[in-house]
Amino acid sequence: MSMLSVEKRLSLVRFNIHEEPHIIVDTSKCRECKYQVCVKACPAGLFTIDDNGKLHFNYEGCFECGTCRVVCPEKAIKWNYPPAGFGVSLNFG
Amino acid sequence: MSGEEKFDVIVVGGGPAGIAAGYFLAKKGFKVVVLEKGEDIGTKNMFGGRIYSHVFDKYFPGWREEAPIERWVRREKFTILCKDEAISIDLSRVGEIGPYDSFTTFLSKFLKWMAQYAESTGALILPGVKVDRILFKDGFAVGVEAEGDRLESDYVIVAEGVNTLLLESMGIKRKPMPSEVAVGVKEVIKLGRDVVNGRFGLSDGEGIAEFLIGYPLNEFLGGGFLYTMNEYVTIGAVVKIEHIYGAASQIMDIAEYLRMHKYVWKLLRDGTMVEYSAHMVGESPGSLYLDKPYGNGYLVVGDAAGTLVNTGFTIRGVDYAVESSRLASQVIEESHSIGDKSKAILGKYKSLLDKSVVGRSVRKFRNVSKILSHRRLHKEYVDFACDVVGDIYSTAEESPTLNEAIKRGKKGRISYIDLMIDLIRVWRSL
Repeated sequence: MSMLSVEKRLSLVRFNIHEEPHIIVDTSKCRECKYQVCVKACPAGLFTIDDNGKLHFNYEGCFECGTCRVVCPEKAIKWNYPPAGFGVSLNFG
Repeated sequence: MSGEEKFDVIVVGGGPAGIAAGYFLAKKGFKVVVLEKGEDIGTKNMFGGRIYSHVFDKYFPGWREEAPIERWVRREKFTILCKDEAISIDLSRVGEIGPYDSFTTFLSKFLKWMAQYAESTGALILPGVKVDRILFKDGFAVGVEAEGDRLESDYVIVAEGVNTLLLESMGIKRKPMPSEVAVGVKEVIKLGRDVVNGRFGLSDGEGIAEFLIGYPLNEFLGGGFLYTMNEYVTIGAVVKIEHIYGAASQIMDIAEYLRMHKYVWKLLRDGTMVEYSAHMVGESPGSLYLDKPYGNGYLVVGDAAGTLVNTGFTIRGVDYAVESSRLASQVIEESHSIGDKSKAILGKYKSLLDKSVVGRSVRKFRNVSKILSHRRLHKEYVDFACDVVGDIYSTAEESPTLNEAIKRGKKGRISYIDLMIDLIRVWRSL
């Protein structure tokens, strides 16, 4: 089995996606951030930086691990769990 | 859920600590409900793969016949991954009888069993309910609010896990620092039972638990794990959040880099990945262990109270969480019998916890995480060990002496003073 992309690996997991994001990122704070460590820290790779250097976040595929909440030095992340019954649903946790 | 029904105890969170609290309290005759935000029990829970059985042997009669045990751990392995080699210490328990004191399992499945077990004693386990707030009246916890519904109780047990959103909003605890928590990632690889047996040298029902350090985990100063399940193997890594800042790679790739190391790859090469997941792990028992896991009308148990302990070689998570809930249930019983649920009475939980195996272990191993995240351990010492052991078993025409091998491995890498300081440091904390 060769190396699998994170997208491929996320496709193995059941996510019950709610229409409202459970994590809100104030990306205006990210411009000044010299670390942008969330990009490296998210185990699902949900933080990305586009060609213009702007940070994007996609809550779909979130493991709700809380790493971004702890790692963000700019307090740019408003973190909560998805509503009851939504979000990640593991079989082999 | 209507607001009319009143419970003796509401437990917030249906992980190991929460379900155990429901079980112990129901067994004592309390009317107890466990509220879990996941659509089903076990869907939000994740761990590497191992549970120690003492607490179940003592308090869950018949559990060995019923629980979804994958394999009993009969081999313990510690492996240093070099670039092209691997050095292992391998403990095989080959005796005819025991100890069968720890087993591998999937936490998602184990919790579903725990929930059934708790329900059979009378606990109400409700998945699909997310608690937003603990309700207080006159300074006492009197219930919870869950998506607009209010539910009342005499006591509240907070078992929300390592991400302590409720405790933080109550002002009981601050948000953990990047030095106090780690992110764990896990891949589950299906190999089939016979392949697992053959490749890991196991009989049916016997399992291996392996810790790994070195390449490629050392970029993050992280550790790896491998557990054999019946038909599957779990492989993953645990990285302290503070070590992500300085790394070049991304955490999302670390499990794959580990799986691609030739040593791991050979073991899992023809497997099929069935799931990938991530979860937070407490890494600092000294500071995450709550000073006051109690207050008027409420108690805090499990990961939320900081009961997880990393001994440096093994991790005690589920069993200590369950033990904390057992003690909490005992204190609630006493408090209820005298009709006083003030913090002065419930504070006895803290002293019981301190005296228990949980508190003793937290104190004993409080410095381990600092040692384990020492840069030299993951970098210089890994290279040193790889060079020296590689040299000792040199296949060259002329073999070096051990002394020559050590001198060569140490050169330009570790000074005698560093070595002495590190040895003393390790000796003191492990």
